[in-house]
Amino acid sequence: MYSWRRLREKLFTGSVIALSLLAIAPVLHLIATVFVNGLTVIAEAGLGFFTGLPPTPLSRELGGIAPSIAGTLLMTALSLPVTVLLGLFAAILTTEFPKNPLSVAIDAVAKSLASIPTIAVSMIVYTLVVIPMRGFSALAGAVALTIVALPYAYTYFSIALRSVPSTYREAAFAVAMSRWGTVTRVFIPIARRSVVVGVLMTMARVMGETAALLFTAGRFRAGVVLSPVAPADSIPLLIFDYILSPYALWHRVAWGATALLLLAYMVVFLATKLVVKEVKL
Amino acid sequence: MVSVVKPSKRDKLFFLSLLPLSVSLLAILILSVTTIVLRSLDSFQHFGFQLITSSVWNPEKEVYGLLAPIIGSLATSALAVLTALVLSLPLSIMIAEYLRGFAKSVVSSVVELMGGMPTIIYAVWASQYLVPFLKQLAMEPLHRALPFIPLFSCRPITGFSIFAAGIAIGISIVPYVTALILEAYQSIPMMYREACYGIGATKYETVRVMISLARPAIIAALILGFARALGETTIAVATVGNSMYLSSCLFAPGYTVSALIASQFANAYLYQYAETVLYSSILVVVVTAIALSFYGSTTIVRWRSRIVV
Repeated sequence: MYSWRRLREKLFTGSVIALSLLAIAPVLHLIATVFVNGLTVIAEAGLGFFTGLPPTPLSRELGGIAPSIAGTLLMTALSLPVTVLLGLFAAILTTEFPKNPLSVAIDAVAKSLASIPTIAVSMIVYTLVVIPMRGFSALAGAVALTIVALPYAYTYFSIALRSVPSTYREAAFAVAMSRWGTVTRVFIPIARRSVVVGVLMTMARVMGETAALLFTAGRFRAGVVLSPVAPADSIPLLIFDYILSPYALWHRVAWGATALLLLAYMVVFLATKLVVKEVKL
Repeated sequence: MVSVVKPSKRDKLFFLSLLPLSVSLLAILILSVTTIVLRSLDSFQHFGFQLITSSVWNPEKEVYGLLAPIIGSLATSALAVLTALVLSLPLSIMIAEYLRGFAKSVVSSVVELMGGMPTIIYAVWASQYLVPFLKQLAMEPLHRALPFIPLFSCRPITGFSIFAAGIAIGISIVPYVTALILEAYQSIPMMYREACYGIGATKYETVRVMISLARPAIIAALILGFARALGETTIAVATVGNSMYLSSCLFAPGYTVSALIASQFANAYLYQYAETVLYSSILVVVVTAIALSFYGSTTIVRWRSRIVV
């Protein structure tokens, strides 16, 4: 009896460790293969990878992904400020007036909005923005990105604001600060690091989103255009199209772009970790 | 802070000034759902039930049936949830029970890193490495050993299949499900664990008690994972094989609703009904996903209010 319990304990520990390793293994393999495959492509293409135009399927040159990089930067720049502003305001409302029926509704809506598939968002924006504007545009892409990222931004910010103990609010009221003053001069400064993390995570989501851009941004790869009303491309879109194509050259470009995207994501992720590490409340 | 006092005039003004921007979330949801419903009405009127009882995609003849993609979506999501359960539960137990200090923070960070990773990166990796790997080490052996089971009855040809998509999507939702399970697991009060150790229970027996306490939350986490897997697009397109063929075999190429849309929507405007049919297909997914995630998250909230005293 005793030994069976002991054996079972060992078996349990062993299987937990084995399955946990199995759960972590894919991401380690993924990071390794993306960097090995992608960085060799970037190294071969050199600086041209960041300034050149994508190659034709049968060309010999690797070319570059400048239009996609420009498009990702442009759409992130268009979408991020709006997303952060709307998310922050909604979070302030629901933390300051938690009992108000409207706050309860906004909370529930954020959850439902987060569960809408991003490809559905793409179709919605196609109907609401692309058709009335008579064409794909970076603006339509940015609208889609905002809808996708807004519920996440809202969740990050409301967690950040709610983590501030309510004694601070009472203290602020005790010295006759207004509600607005309490939020802007006490709450946001105390929670500033979590707010920054929220902004960074929202940015990571915006720049890595693919499906929301499929029918909105327009996949224009023939040159670098920085106009919000013109069709644009993004790095995830380029990867999506090229990795599904049958051409070996396009696969290599896709690997390079994937490595670049993963690198950018990891930089943002590490930044959030560094920001949090400094905080000692 | 109990608000017995009526809100002051300034408070009201503050509330009103926040209103216009915060209501945007509400407006976006209403606008989104009405758009999809309005655009899909045509196909319901024109095709009726035939739309979900047959599986054809022939825009030239304007004949459509969505059975295969809908079944495909459900099958891949079910497989994904199964994969996520097998990997997430041990991972959560590992993080909560076995790891301490630095190791714990490293593993938690890796899980977080996985969770925020753009899905297109998973799609690239899955289509180039995971699918061939699964074909060789899972699909072919299963087919050889158990060809009489309908699920494994066909020979995997390219490897791109419902099975591959299910596993790939499952791997991508592991961090999400793990975070949900871990949060629930760690919110169980300390006293239960102390009571277990107090009567001489081993770690395994303690974990079993803790898991049974967390069961409703774990099931809710799986439901939320299912809802997320339903909407997954990029990984599905890259691994599912994109074929309208309906088969009982998991190793045959198939379709999911989102994969169908990703590959057909761009040209759908050329035909009379293709667009509205695609809108109706996403309507099914959106309604299911919202309902499931709502059910899942309220279950977790209710569970927490009961277990956390």
